[in-house]
Formats: sequence, structure tokens, C-alpha cells
Amino acid sequence: MSSWEDEDSAAASAAATTDVELLKRAWRNEKAAPEILHFDSALVSRAREQIQLLEETLDDFTDNGVDDLVVSLYQMDLDRTLFLLRSYLRLRLQKIEKYMAHIANSEDLLSRLSQQEQRFAKSCKEIMEKHLEQSVLSKLPYGYDSVTRQSLSSTEDDMVPEPQLDTFVFCKTKSDVGAFQLDDVGEEVVDLVADDLYVLRYKSIKGLVEAGRIDLI
Amino acid sequence: MAGQSDPHLSLFSPSEVEFVAEDEIVEIVPNIRMEALNMICGDFGPFFPQIPSKVPLWLAVALKRRGKCTIRAPEWMTVERLTQVLDAERESPREFQPLPFHYIEISKLLFDHARDDITDAYLVRSLIEDIRDVRFHKVETGLETISGRTHAVKLKNLSAMEVNIVRPFMVRTLQAFYKHDSPQMIQQADNTGSRSTPVTDRGPRRDLRRR
Amino acid sequence: MYARRASQLLKELDACEPGQLVVFNSDVFDQVIRECGEHNAQFQALIRKMVEQNLDIETTRNEDHYGAAIHHLSLLRNKRCLMAYMYNRAETIRSFRWKIGPVLPHEIQEKLNFSEKEYFRSHSSAIKSYISEMDIDLTVDMVPPKDPYIQVRVLEDIGEVSLGDHSVSLTKNSLHFLRRTDAEQFISQGLMEEFLE
Repeated sequence: MSSWEDEDSAAASAAATTDVELLKRAWRNEKAAPEILHFDSALVSRAREQIQLLEETLDDFTDNGVDDLVVSLYQMDLDRTLFLLRSYLRLRLQKIEKYMAHIANSEDLLSRLSQQEQRFAKSCKEIMEKHLEQSVLSKLPYGYDSVTRQSLSSTEDDMVPEPQLDTFVFCKTKSDVGAFQLDDVGEEVVDLVADDLYVLRYKSIKGLVEAGRIDLI
Repeated sequence: MAGQSDPHLSLFSPSEVEFVAEDEIVEIVPNIRMEALNMICGDFGPFFPQIPSKVPLWLAVALKRRGKCTIRAPEWMTVERLTQVLDAERESPREFQPLPFHYIEISKLLFDHARDDITDAYLVRSLIEDIRDVRFHKVETGLETISGRTHAVKLKNLSAMEVNIVRPFMVRTLQAFYKHDSPQMIQQADNTGSRSTPVTDRGPRRDLRRR
Repeated sequence: MYARRASQLLKELDACEPGQLVVFNSDVFDQVIRECGEHNAQFQALIRKMVEQNLDIETTRNEDHYGAAIHHLSLLRNKRCLMAYMYNRAETIRSFRWKIGPVLPHEIQEKLNFSEKEYFRSHSSAIKSYISEMDIDLTVDMVPPKDPYIQVRVLEDIGEVSLGDHSVSLTKNSLHFLRRTDAEQFISQGLMEEFLE
């Protein structure tokens, strides 16, 4: 099994990449991953700082009558960065909406969220439960009125939608990973070569995605 | 690709794919002098008349549209190179020729905004369309050969737009085989509580997921 | 035939255009709720009968047991259908907040039941809270940004127009490089069209 903790190469590639590139990668991974990924709060902070700085610079420019062309170009840079940031945040909110109970009920999943997202997730869940309680559950017989279980005879929460982690995703690795085991048994091994495109089950490469070794596209 | 595809499963809208492609670096020849641009997405310039400079595609197009530069067509976008690629595509039915990941979006943007900077633009465009068609056809044929439980597919050299278009079909095909081949799970519900009917729940977990 | 009415609700969901809603079917919905009550009553009666006959409910397998099982499973199926109906509609309702905004047009409001209207309002609020906590509006910028300037051709004589700090002569067939926001009003009136070089 290849080691994922190749910190040197990770640091090197991080230094060489702009925050826009990082934001783009975070956005793409989030779009393609079936589950919610870790909130990159450092990246979002930095991006917001740069956005604010550029907004102030643009104000200065217009005050000082800087060439229209230059202003236009910086405006486009700003617009592009804002779009990425908004998309990233919005994507995550929509994922939280989709799996609100699953996320809000799991400490592990909640820990992937920013504080504001955590509050949102919990609100979402409460609002939904109230709605279901009001419209359906309160009208059902005793023993059948749980929101997470079909009935008292269910042994687990069998009514909480959750993402399909074994869905197939398209991905590319930045550097050679080598022989990689996809399943628990060792029957499915793939040789992951840098820059080649693969379609694999998300569950198998989850760890690589988290470690930043593989990009979802 | 013929047949319906769920745009949601495509993940990226065409304009989103184009947006990503617009960050690709191209070379321009400015006809003005302009100071360096220290943007969030990177530092570019300073710019001097007639001195080539590398910038992201979106910036190149913006300058071109304002008459401030010409764009140097990338070296793969010539009749000679593309003819080679097309021939190679036709000769190898199971392989895709190496092309820039965003070759479709890059060429489209250049045709739309900098056609006069491309030598033999119409011929180049027609070659690219032919290449696209041959490659799409290969993907379709490739899908047909997936006939059983597949755990990995390698699509070496497939481009961004092609990935996005084939995504829903590929995912659905692989998922279908994956599901049908996996063993049925029969769960024995362990019954507790006042409503203790000794009834076993058969089959995989039910859920409210929309199909 | 048990659960047929519940299936009707799901069929309605399925037949609907994705991203759209049909009117909340309170008639069928209430019928299904009633059916649940009936199943429960029958279930109780059968269990009681077995208890009165001193039969072990856990292990006995007679016709009453199987009858009770059918009622239990039918109730479960009805519940799943009802929950799926509400849950999937709620998903569409949430999408309206993103696609339309915090206020729904009358044609859509008509299709929601009381609880759904309340759900929309509450959920809208939750989104609003997040946006205000983060101080970044997520309901704009839904598509990638383009160049704020576009190339236009004037279709009809418009004359001198003042745009910002300079004026432009918009004569028929003339070409201009304008801000998209300035051009939009003319384009929507058919006086101008965008064109690619």
C-alpha cells in the first residue's frame, strides 16, 4: 500500500499553486464527491481576504481615474474568484440540505463543516423534522411515528437518506500512486499513473482524495 | 451523444467547463504597453508592444476583443498537427491521442474571438470537429464493451468536455453492473419493543432516495 | 388492494417535470392516512385475538399472525410512501429558494399545503441566517461570469446616448463595444443585438 504522507511533495505543490487553483480544485472535488468533504477554512479565509483587498484596490482605481482597461481586467479577476468562492459555499450548503439528517446526526460528518454550516445543518434538520411531524408523523399510529425509523421494530435508522459512497467518479492523480488496492479483499488492484484519467468507485479512493493525492474531475 | 442524459449527472454545465478552460495559459502579442497585473489568479506582464507574453485565456480574449493584442494559436492548432492527430485517431480504435485537456473549449474560444489569428482557421475547425466525432464514437463503442462488473476504467487522454458528456452514461453503466452482480442481502430484523410482530424485513435497506 | 392509493402519490411525483410541483393531493393523502389507521386497528384486533387464545405472539405462526404481518407491512409501506411524497416535494421546494428567491409566486404557492408553506419560510430563513453570518450572498452568481463588455450591432437608429461619462452615437448598423448592463435595455427592446466577431 503506497504511503500518502508524502509531505514534501504536497508542500511543494501547494506553494506553487495559487489560491484560485486551490479553490478551483476544492470546488471540483466537492462537485464530484458524493459525500461532503472537509471545509477548507484556511483557503476560504485567504480567498476572502484577497477578494476584499482587490475590491478596495478597485475603489481606489476608480477614484484615481486609473485606465478603464486595467480596471476592467481586475474586475474580471475579481468576478471569477467570487464565482468560485460562492459556488463552493453554495455547493456545500446544497449537499447539507440533501443529507441534513445524516450529517446532523454524525459527529464525524459535522466536524467536516464550518461553524456556520453546522448551525445551518442543525436548523435544516429541525425545520424538516417539524414539517414531517406536522404533516405525516403526528397522524400515524403510535409505534410508527418516528422520523428516523419505519417502526419500533426497526433495528436501525432505516429512513435517513445517505449518499452512495460506492458511486463511480472520474479522477486523475497528480503523481504516480502505483499499485492501489480498490477493495477489501485484494482482488481489485489498479496501477494509478500520474495524469491518466480513471473512473473508479469513490469509496475506494476516498482517502486519496482527502490527502490531496487525487483530483476528482 | 444520442439519447437522454441527466444534466445533473453531468455535474458541470458547458459554461462551467469553459470557465475552467479559460484559466489555461496562452501566448499573446500585445500592441500596447501596460503595467504588470497582480491579480488574485496570478501575476502577469508587464506588457510591451510586440513582445510575446503568457496570460490566461480569459485575459487574452479580453485584450483581443479590445484590440490590444493578437493571440498566438497554440502549436497543436495547426492543419499539419491536427491532420496527424486525426489520422492517428482513426488508426487506433482503442486509444485516444494526446491532446490538451481543454482542446475543445480553447479552440472554440479562439474561433469565436480570434479567428483572424489562426492560420487556415476554417480548415483547423473542421479538423477539430472530425477529431471530436472520431473520439466520441470511440467512447460510445468503449461503453458497449463494458459487459460485466468492472471496478476501474482507464480513459487515457480523454478531454474535459468529453468527460463531462460521457459521465452520466459511464456512471450509469458501471453502477448498473455493479449493483446487479452484488450478492442480495437478506436482513433478519431483531425485533424488540411493544410492537413485536416476528416479522423479518427482507431485502436491502429501504430509503427515501429518489430514483 | 393495499397501498395502491399511496402509489398514486408517488406516481404523481414521478410524472411531474423535474424541478416542478403539482398541487398537493390532500384527498389521496388523507385517504392513505385513514388506511394506516385501519391497518393499525386490524393489526391490534388480530394480536388481541391471539393473546386471548393464550398464544405466544413471538413464535406462533397461524393465519392471524400472517394477517397481522400483512397489516404491519402495509402500514409501513404507506408510511414510506407518505414520507417519500413529503420529502421529495420538500426537496423541490428548497430548490425554489435558490432558483426563485425568498418570495414564491402565486402559481407555486397554490400548490403547497399549509405545512409546506411554513417549511419554505423557515428554510428560507435558515439560508438567510447563513448568508448574513458569512456576509456573502450565495443567491447570486449562479453562472460563471463573462466579460462585462460585449460587442453589439445597432439595429435601429437610436441617436446620441450618454453612457457613464461619455456619449455614444448609436446609428443603425454601427458596431460598439459596450458594457453588458448598458446594452441590455436596448437589446431587450430589439434595438440592438450582440454579435460575435
